Amino acid sequence: MSIETLLAAVLTLAIFSFLYKENPFYRAAEHLLVGVSVGYYLVILVEETIWSKVAKPLAYDQNWIVIIPAVLGLMMFFRLSRNKAYLTRIPLALLIGAGAGVSIPAMLWARVLKQMSASMLPLYTISGIIVLVGVITTIIYFYFSREQEGWFGYLAKTGTYFLMIFFGATFGYTVMSRVTLLIGRMEFLLTDFLGIVG
Amino acid sequence: MDLSRLDRRIIFLIIAIVVIVPMLFDVTPEVQITKDTEQIFDAIDSLKTGDYLMVSFDFEAASFPEMRPLASVILNHSFEKDLKIIGLALFSEGTAIGYTLLEQIAREYDKVYGVDYVYLGFRPQYVSAILGMGESIIKVFPEDYLKQPLEKYPDFLELENYENLPLLVSVADGSLPIHWADYANARYGQRVAVACAAVMVTAFKPYFESGQLIGPAAGVKGAAEYEKLLGYEGAAHRRLFTQSVVHLAIIILVIVANVSAYVWRKK
Repeated sequence: MSIETLLAAVLTLAIFSFLYKENPFYRAAEHLLVGVSVGYYLVILVEETIWSKVAKPLAYDQNWIVIIPAVLGLMMFFRLSRNKAYLTRIPLALLIGAGAGVSIPAMLWARVLKQMSASMLPLYTISGIIVLVGVITTIIYFYFSREQEGWFGYLAKTGTYFLMIFFGATFGYTVMSRVTLLIGRMEFLLTDFLGIVG
Repeated sequence: MDLSRLDRRIIFLIIAIVVIVPMLFDVTPEVQITKDTEQIFDAIDSLKTGDYLMVSFDFEAASFPEMRPLASVILNHSFEKDLKIIGLALFSEGTAIGYTLLEQIAREYDKVYGVDYVYLGFRPQYVSAILGMGESIIKVFPEDYLKQPLEKYPDFLELENYENLPLLVSVADGSLPIHWADYANARYGQRVAVACAAVMVTAFKPYFESGQLIGPAAGVKGAAEYEKLLGYEGAAHRRLFTQSVVHLAIIILVIVANVSAYVWRKK
């Protein structure tokens, strides 16, 4: 058995020990995970952003234009100063402006117009009718400018049933996903670590 | 006794037993192929030999047990069809995992790095990466994962942007396929297929129904269906039996606890 397998198995068991109760083994494994994750992300940040997007273009390609975004990025650190914090508004304004410009048309097309057209199904099919009723009643449930009572209340209540079906399906899929992760870990313990299962 | 107040540790123990025992038996369940998995299979199957296929490993280490069978079936199918695979990762954690998996499966098919497949690695800010590749892939990834300039691989130079890419597959445990749909599909008309964690299916469902995304092959069930379409029974099939037993146990526990709580309160 390799040292990596042994280490992975010990850490897996340490994390599982939390299921019994909080204990030092669990805390040690958790802290190790946090530490390793921070180190990993720091290396990625330096490698993929600071080095590849700023230092390398400046040092090797003499691409001076990257100074502008680099300075704008550094300006974000003015947030740490009480009397210069207002300067962070400049990069933030640029970020929000560009972000909104990029996102709004794409979102409007992908999340509103395409979804609306996909909801408009022929009403001579059962699924078409269910989609129509589901969309309208669910939207009514989220319409808060009018008291949800009388016929309006009944429609809103119907909307909640559609939402519950959605939540139920989501919960079912969540259980399926999480059980798979548990199976994966158990499989590792029984196969690679203990060698019980072939 | 009100079973709804049962010590949670007893439930954990029951689940542990229910997970371990089925693993000791070599049972592979019968798998019914769904329309969703068939869609992603057909999308890849319809590609011609030598076509490009971009596979984005958009998942993290924590979900590896669920994502590995999915990524494996996609790569097996693609290599079987002699497609030219371009791997990348938009989550930093998926970078090394994606590369290792691609290398492992490529070796099984005697595929050569730089000729049959390349791995571009990771780029932060996935929205900029997705949009940037619509203009020029080489500008977003001037070097591959091995720090070699992309110009070194002439077989992949024809792939300028999404225009020459007939299909992209996002193997994802999170919401990244939605961003592929929002930016690559909506803006550039890129066909995007999805193999995802089961937990994400309901979030993506409207996108599949509207045709903005293709698929999905979801979770171990989706991977097992895909294995069946490829004509073999692999890791996903084995896990599916254990999963079915655990699901059954959870259903029984929920029913028993609810009935017990109901009877107890009536008393």
